[in-house]
Amino acid sequence: MSVATSDAVRRSRLGLVLLLGLPLLGSGGAVTAADLPALSHRFTTLPEPVTAPPLRLEDLDGRRHDLTELRGRPVIVNFWATWCPPCRREMPSLERLYQQWRERGLAVLAVDVGEDLETVFAFTGQLDPPPIFPLLLDPEGATLEAWGVKGLPTSFLIDAQGRVVGRAIGGTEFDQPAILEHLAPYLSGAGTPNVQDDAH
Amino acid sequence: MIPHIRRSPAGPGNVPRRAVLLAAAALIGLPAAAADPIRRDPDTGAATWEVQAQGVTLSITQLLPDQVLAFYVNRGFASDAAAVFAGACVFMTVLRNQAAPGEIDFRLTDWEIRQDGETRRLPALEDWLKQWEQRGVSAPARLAFRWAQLPPEQRYAPGEWNQGMLATGLPPGSRFDLIARWQTAGQTQTGRIDDVRCNE
Repeated sequence: MSVATSDAVRRSRLGLVLLLGLPLLGSGGAVTAADLPALSHRFTTLPEPVTAPPLRLEDLDGRRHDLTELRGRPVIVNFWATWCPPCRREMPSLERLYQQWRERGLAVLAVDVGEDLETVFAFTGQLDPPPIFPLLLDPEGATLEAWGVKGLPTSFLIDAQGRVVGRAIGGTEFDQPAILEHLAPYLSGAGTPNVQDDAH
Repeated sequence: MIPHIRRSPAGPGNVPRRAVLLAAAALIGLPAAAADPIRRDPDTGAATWEVQAQGVTLSITQLLPDQVLAFYVNRGFASDAAAVFAGACVFMTVLRNQAAPGEIDFRLTDWEIRQDGETRRLPALEDWLKQWEQRGVSAPARLAFRWAQLPPEQRYAPGEWNQGMLATGLPPGSRFDLIARWQTAGQTQTGRIDDVRCNE
């Protein structure tokens, strides 16, 4: 490989890191996780709960999901896209949160904006752990305005009555202790589950 | 539409000393300013500038034109259309409400770039989208473009943030000052980054 080619490859790799937020492998560590913007560790409580806007979309298997059918359970609705760096970075923590608390009723609906099935499917294969919660497709971004989404990622916490009670704008580390404490009152059963300090 | 967070009123007896100092700084019109990059990638030379003001952090990182080109070609842009944006001096931009005394509210129409004694606005997202439509860029590609930009306006509660591309519209190699503005607690705050260089 010529020097010029090598430089071009390195520049291209850096571009992927900046644009996609992926770890840079085999580059001598030029870009580290410390260079990436920190993920948030909190949910913001809305001053007054409001009825959640409609959300009826199909998942990767073509199954239709309707948010209203999840009444009685707390739900995290996450708007994201595969090319969005903080969306990619927060997704594993959302899956860890789901696996930790789904038996206590937590549901997660992750709405991909503007992409097709193949793109989303290919991305999920790169995740560890891969998400087992439904990944919904909104290829035309039709749901964003009703939900008041201005940027990706944005997540909402819906309570058992179907009301939006919290939000997280920007990439979030969902299994951080402060977020677990925020979510705990909305789950079924009493008490706070084990909060793992190393869960990230 | 999900409502925005309102700032809790603070009584005169419990206003933090820091908030008083910040208010005083705002009253006498002292914008926070930065000039030197805080980081430079050793491989590409891409620089990052950052300014912190009143609990808000703004950072911008140079993107190489070929990185931007590759991103949008991969999202479905024809290379000639992608090249137009890639040549518009694009930065990866992160705006974060780290610890402002309440929600911050920004509009990119309030931001300015100053170059050679002249002040100009940032190119508007709507103008880019019109151009892409006229050039026949597909709807999914336009959707990806819209959501890959720093939102044209948004509100962040403490802890919230976002990341996106910000184009100045200047030719590669240009130098300029960036003046960012946002509202918090009824006051306009300003963060300025001087002598920013567009990548080539």
